[in-house]
Amino acid sequence: MSEPLQAYMDKTVQIITNDGKVILGTLKGVDTSVNVVLHGSTERVFSQDEGVEIVPLGLYIIRGDNVGIVGLVDEGVDSGIEWSEVKAQPLGSVRHEGGV
Amino acid sequence: MLPLSLLNTAVRHPILVELKNGETYNGHLVNCDPWMNINLREVILTSPDGEKFWRLPECYIRGSSIKYLRVPDEIIDMVKESQHKERRAQTGGAGPSGRGGAPGGRGGNTRGRGR
Repeated sequence: MSEPLQAYMDKTVQIITNDGKVILGTLKGVDTSVNVVLHGSTERVFSQDEGVEIVPLGLYIIRGDNVGIVGLVDEGVDSGIEWSEVKAQPLGSVRHEGGV
Repeated sequence: MLPLSLLNTAVRHPILVELKNGETYNGHLVNCDPWMNINLREVILTSPDGEKFWRLPECYIRGSSIKYLRVPDEIIDMVKESQHKERRAQTGGAGPSGRGGAPGGRGGNTRGRGR
């Protein structure tokens, strides 16, 4: 079912949610609806005026409906980035255009 | 670990639920089902802008309206324990709460025995 995500189990992943949040944490579980369990999770809040704010969130269940992207984090690369100096426009939420 | 097993284990513990409309519900989890519908007690509801608050004695939330849930860190360790207990109950015999399988049903080759 959600077999590809089993490869990311117990590794650090970054989830981009449908409302444009960026959440990192250790992947502890996933089911067929792509509901996800993240342990020790943090949110990275981006802004154009200040560096990235890191908000601790803890143990999280993100409902599959709200999951946009699950990406494996390369911790070597990630830890080399000085996030407090990164300025970027925050993501917007998912837009559904056209459709029925 | 299945997300819903974690949620099941969080029953009787405080959780935070954010809905798709941005409202957050803080309360004790009373019950949940396989659709993630949940029952909360002693709830504080916060408006999407975070400025208004309401106290509700209890509420029922449809699973499909949930964006995410935050559960206490220690729950993840309790899931492992409750899964062990379930497995023990399923294999039968072991433990005082076993389902009355044949005595000593776990020794050696258990396949096909007692059914």
